[in-house]
Amino acid sequence: MDKISIPIGPQHPLLKEPLSMMVDISGEKVLGGSLRLGYVHRGIERLAQQRTYVQNIHLIERICGICSHVHTTTYCYAVEALLGIEIPPRAQYIRALMCELERIHSHLLWLGILAKHIGLDTIFMHTWHDREMVLDIMEEVSGGRISHAANQIGGVRFDLDEEKGEMIRKILIKLHSQVEGLLDVIESEPAAIARTKGVAPISPDLIKAYGVVGPIARASGVDVDMRRDASLPPYDQLEVKVITHSDGDAWARTFVRVEETRVSLNLCETIIREMPRGDVVVHAPRRVPEGEVIIRSEAPRGELFYYLRSDGSDKPARLKVRTPTLAALSLLPVQLSEINVADIPVVLAGVDLCIACADR
Amino acid sequence: MDKIKKRFTLLNAVVEAMIKQPETIKYPFAAMELPEGFRGAIVFDPDKCSGCGLCVRDCPAEALHINKKSREEYTLLHYPARCAYCGQCEDSCRHGAISHSNKLVGATTHKDDWVLVFKDSKASQE
Ligand code: SF4
Ligand code: SF4
Repeated sequence: MDKISIPIGPQHPLLKEPLSMMVDISGEKVLGGSLRLGYVHRGIERLAQQRTYVQNIHLIERICGICSHVHTTTYCYAVEALLGIEIPPRAQYIRALMCELERIHSHLLWLGILAKHIGLDTIFMHTWHDREMVLDIMEEVSGGRISHAANQIGGVRFDLDEEKGEMIRKILIKLHSQVEGLLDVIESEPAAIARTKGVAPISPDLIKAYGVVGPIARASGVDVDMRRDASLPPYDQLEVKVITHSDGDAWARTFVRVEETRVSLNLCETIIREMPRGDVVVHAPRRVPEGEVIIRSEAPRGELFYYLRSDGSDKPARLKVRTPTLAALSLLPVQLSEINVADIPVVLAGVDLCIACADR
Repeated sequence: MDKIKKRFTLLNAVVEAMIKQPETIKYPFAAMELPEGFRGAIVFDPDKCSGCGLCVRDCPAEALHINKKSREEYTLLHYPARCAYCGQCEDSCRHGAISHSNKLVGATTHKDDWVLVFKDSKASQE
């Protein structure tokens, strides 16, 4: 049968963000595909060089609408490393709590999208309803649903009092029971398994060759998790269970994210229980001494990498951000071969695309 | 058996949804409950402001502007449409003159609403 090339995107109901793909098909079989990126490039790295370290926190926060907090956290740790200051333990715990809440809502959001793409709209409604609870917690403690503005250089902006801690604990208990039920359904739903099992498997060698990180790598049996490996505080004091799977297919990616949601829920409870007392911020000078630093952290989609160079002024000389999605996207054309046309949404959803992060 | 049981775990949520009021709020006709610490419209206390300009320096969206003639004579302007409601000005101000309320900022059709004069030291002296 003849080869036909179909353009998908940059605006397409399948995609929540602009990405352009050319998919070659022959009958029902997908032969291959190519990508075009850059539709939401905002030049944030360059912009960051023109703004002060303080202003940059709010700029960096706008790289992504889902994992905004982990971006500012990594950035702040980078600036603090150059300044040579250590933030109070309580601030570290609050940062980690927000990171874990973010991971839960990111994974729930992703689960909803996957469910929608494979026709399980009920799961979509339930996951997004439950995700709302996490956003409520984040709004209550930080003052913003998406842009939390929780970090400042030298610590965090807000403290959690007894009342708020109790409120979070209560919501988390309710969320935990609801999410458990939901995850049980996903794990035992024959339709979900049938649509994802054996679809677009990725071998560990391919993962390493393309430098793919995060849940996709873990689903192929590559055991990387920056929470454990980079041991940024306070994760060096917390025990993080790293979930891996050996199949590498769309089902394995679902399994890993579902289990990670459970791990994060437990981690949140541990963080609240073990949160040390004390200050949440220390004074930080505005001018940052000359030097360069690399900080790595675990975003919901995988390893986040920040390189920061200072020339001694109050503005960064260079800020380089490497987001996990970019590596995952490079693997997409490989995944888009030897599958059926109907599996394209499953493959796309399995990547957990965040184009805003990748384009910056 | 366990598998079948698991498939009915969502039944609780369905029953709960049936007896619950709709989540939708008829905004702006009904009050919308926002948390105490929500970063909404900016409130300003001209009496506390000393004109130091720290908020202007740190504002990431250039939503604040200060026209300074001298220590005493200055105007502080705010552009709500540019504001990112990030809370940095509240953080930077050492005198507690600027802060967030938990009120939402609506769209406007009046040009005058695009610039708010927070403080005009001349006008306040007169
Ligand atoms: S809230 Fe942020 S963007 Fe708005 S005026 Fe204050 S510092 Fe500027
Ligand atoms: S509002 Fe505060 S920071 Fe801004 S000029 Fe007045 S005193 Fe200074």
